[in-house]
Amino acid sequence: MTDLAAATMTPSPAPDDPPHGSLLRAEVHRFRSRRFIQVVLALALVGYALVITLASATGFGKTTPEQLAAAERNVAEIVEEQNRFREQCLGDANRPVDIPPELVCGPPNTAESFPVEQFLDKVPFVLADNLPDGGIAVAVASAALAFLLGATYVGAEWSSRSMVALLFWEPRRFKVRRVKLGVLIGAAAMLAVFGQALWWGTALVMTRYLGRTGSLPADFYADLLAQQGRSVLLVVFAALLGFGVSNLIRNTGAALGVGFVYFAVVENAIRVVRPRWQEWLLTDNAAALVLTGGHRIFIFGEGFVDEQGAFVESGREVLLTNLHGGLVLGVATAVLVALGVVLFQRRDLH
Amino acid sequence: MLGRWGTASYGGRSVPVIEVAGAHKSYRRRRKPAERALDGLDLMVDGGGVHGFLGPNGSGKTTTIRILLGLVRADSGELRLLGKPVPQALPDVIGHVGALVEAPLFYPNFGGRLNLRLLAETAGISRRRVEECLELVGLRERGDDRFKGYSLGMKQRLGIAAALLKKPQLLILDEPSNGLDPAGIREVRELIQRLGRDGRTTVFLSSHLLAEIEQVCDHVSIMARGRCVATGPVRQVLASRSTGDVRVRVPDQARARAVLVEAGFTLSDDPPEADGGAIRVHGVADPAEITRALTRERLYLTELSPIAADFESAFLELTQAQP
Repeated sequence: MTDLAAATMTPSPAPDDPPHGSLLRAEVHRFRSRRFIQVVLALALVGYALVITLASATGFGKTTPEQLAAAERNVAEIVEEQNRFREQCLGDANRPVDIPPELVCGPPNTAESFPVEQFLDKVPFVLADNLPDGGIAVAVASAALAFLLGATYVGAEWSSRSMVALLFWEPRRFKVRRVKLGVLIGAAAMLAVFGQALWWGTALVMTRYLGRTGSLPADFYADLLAQQGRSVLLVVFAALLGFGVSNLIRNTGAALGVGFVYFAVVENAIRVVRPRWQEWLLTDNAAALVLTGGHRIFIFGEGFVDEQGAFVESGREVLLTNLHGGLVLGVATAVLVALGVVLFQRRDLH
Repeated sequence: MLGRWGTASYGGRSVPVIEVAGAHKSYRRRRKPAERALDGLDLMVDGGGVHGFLGPNGSGKTTTIRILLGLVRADSGELRLLGKPVPQALPDVIGHVGALVEAPLFYPNFGGRLNLRLLAETAGISRRRVEECLELVGLRERGDDRFKGYSLGMKQRLGIAAALLKKPQLLILDEPSNGLDPAGIREVRELIQRLGRDGRTTVFLSSHLLAEIEQVCDHVSIMARGRCVATGPVRQVLASRSTGDVRVRVPDQARARAVLVEAGFTLSDDPPEADGGAIRVHGVADPAEITRALTRERLYLTELSPIAADFESAFLELTQAQP
């Protein structure tokens, strides 16, 4: 009997259970091994350090009582001078009589009209104001970074076609997608939490050496934590949006291009051409999600010319609540990701 | 239907590792008629040995492999891998199937070793096995170099290493010799033959290289226009395409021709010089009849040999025939 005959007549062994691996572990390994991701995160850290250093060196600093007194004197002089000009204006015989004097000469000036910080070379870092504001800046930067990470994570797999190779090992496409999304969500959340924690720590140091705590409202820390929690949500949404776009286009560069065109061109065009749609734009809803108390936008109407022939702008102010922002971003993200998952399930892969 | 080959079973008899019955697949194309890739394909590959999968470009080989691996969905038909229906039960058997389809697919910026480790982690395969496979394909020393820096041959060898990681029962190789130098081709062919002889692994080798199939494979299935037009042991496929012609050489050619014509044989009209001074006799059912006819007239043969079809001729004849 030839080897071939023997082999052919030998029953094939029963396919017992394949060895149990961990797709999740492999995906985490894959994610953190990506050089591009490592470089981008390192650059982000360097950029953060640079911005903080520059801001600390040039923008913030403790103020001596003498400097503060000098600045307050400066403000008082300007207020006095401005009010003198106003009085002159009100007493001017040539002033138009059919326009209210407040519109022509302006309201009376007070010290509040001229914040004293504007008259100091360096302003103190005030924890009560700067910590929440800086947290929002960090959230925006983290969201942009997360969009890039989400796009490159799946885009590189399509470019190298290693996505197809992975299916030789785990053919359940839904599971592959689920695990990849899980890894991305985890990574984005970690990025956001790390960013906020880093900023909080930085702010404490800056307060200690470059400023003061200021008067903290009673619910300051509760509001701050809530804002940071919503920031984490924003970063996760951004990562998923990047993933979703890149997964549909199957290319990181093209996905980033789509993102740029949307945010830089489409949204601005909509604000001009279809202002009523503004409350559904992603950036406004991102602001609405993160800002404490939501985000107020003014939606311009058509406008009209009044009886005196003056153009009067019409419009309405709309408050986009945190919930509104979260729902709009959540639905947009869910639709994009779901579309990608469904197409991935159905498409033939070559 | 699959039933004609018997139900897949592992209870003591040979079970086909690949079964395809009535598979159809068409690709829709924009503003063009659909392209029919498979047209009722029937295919069966028994366990053990090396099974060649041969066909011209566009005959449906890669589509068949992609369908078996769940990358492409068949429009209709039944398919089984290791006795299990695919794509439904593919997750149950994929741990026993290694595959290299066309170009190896790896992260270009990762080293070969890291690429294999990531795949191994997915299936819970040890790092020692990764090293074994790198050793097997001669890439252990270069394992940490980036994949994008590899030569075409090294990339191909890494692809084979990845396919071998699972110690597969079924190894599907699509054009594994692509990009390899002659020494590399020889190594790969020896490896394929070795795997095919181990009694555990069945190698399903898709190739456009007729010589490779003829040299390496025990069985072959030939594809044309989305269908399998011939299948069986390589020798049998050749024999089935045999012309039935016989080459006859005797000292007295003129007399021999007259005897054979008188005995009812059909001779080639070609001059004897065309066949090296031999007579070519067509459609010989039993060459012994020629011996008998010539011996009766005291004409003694110096050569009597059947003219077998070479593999290339058989392949061309099979694949170019009209449907």
